[in-house]
Amino acid sequence: MTRAASRLRGGYTRRRFLGAAGALAGALLAGCGRDAARERPPTDPQVLAALLRRERAAGAAVAGIAGAAAIARQDELHAERLASLAGVALDPVAGAEGDLVAALARKQEGVFAYVNALPRLSDPDLRVLVMQLAASEAEHLAALRLAAGEEPVPDAFAGFTAP
Amino acid sequence: MTAERVQELFDAARTDAGFLKTALYVEEVAALAYAAAAEGPLEGSERAQALRFAAHERRHAAAFETLLFALTVPVREHARPSDLDSLLPGLRDAPRRPALRQLAELEGAAIAGQQLIGRRLLALDALRTVAVVMASGAQHLVVLRSALRQTPLTLAYETGR
Repeated sequence: MTRAASRLRGGYTRRRFLGAAGALAGALLAGCGRDAARERPPTDPQVLAALLRRERAAGAAVAGIAGAAAIARQDELHAERLASLAGVALDPVAGAEGDLVAALARKQEGVFAYVNALPRLSDPDLRVLVMQLAASEAEHLAALRLAAGEEPVPDAFAGFTAP
Repeated sequence: MTAERVQELFDAARTDAGFLKTALYVEEVAALAYAAAAEGPLEGSERAQALRFAAHERRHAAAFETLLFALTVPVREHARPSDLDSLLPGLRDAPRRPALRQLAELEGAAIAGQQLIGRRLLALDALRTVAVVMASGAQHLVVLRSALRQTPLTLAYETGR
């Protein structure tokens, strides 16, 4: 087994442990008469609204990068779709940063957020949408690196196993 | 042709184990494909990139094998060179551009298949790994499309392609 596969599996093991611990904690809280509603998983629109905030942050970081107009256009489409499905208003993008390092960091956070959101979505169509958005954000990362003359795909797992 | 064959493989899967076995097989074929392209049609920096991507695909395959192991599903068969010749016929002897196009078609088909898994997989925790591999494939596709002098970004969200 490769180191990456081992690390991924390790992540799942930790997740399962934390999930079991969380379930136990939830049961104890319910037994003590605490507000069980707080233990409920987020709804799909809530998950999408959180993703929208990430998308907006990435969009703002990219907006001022030279030659990134196509990426900025796709970011706007992502945000519009997320806002529509989450049932929230779409705020304007914050001031452009124009900093490639910041843009790469925000884009990477976006990929992480989309991937990590997948198990929390109950609607299969929304899972496909979020996978498409994750793919698009991953493409943006590679395209930005390529344009900057950097190695476009430095990690085999889209940044999840990068040092 | 490659895309249709890969889609048929994903469409034929009916269980979580079936989806992941198909994904594993496609990643193994992709590893063979990049290695073959590096040995034949590609040269210089493109050859080096193909070798890096072949290594990525092997790691993706290992990740899927780990998921199958977690589902207590043994993996007894792996893709062979004959599978490469069946799924990407002529790749070994293809000129540079057709070879790059074949690789791009395979990556695109794998991404589409992995998104199909997103709709059908029941073990949702495993979906994160599928999505990570898919995201990596999307990054490979940017490099291939750029080498082909195409717009690097696909319309993955807008049209699913």
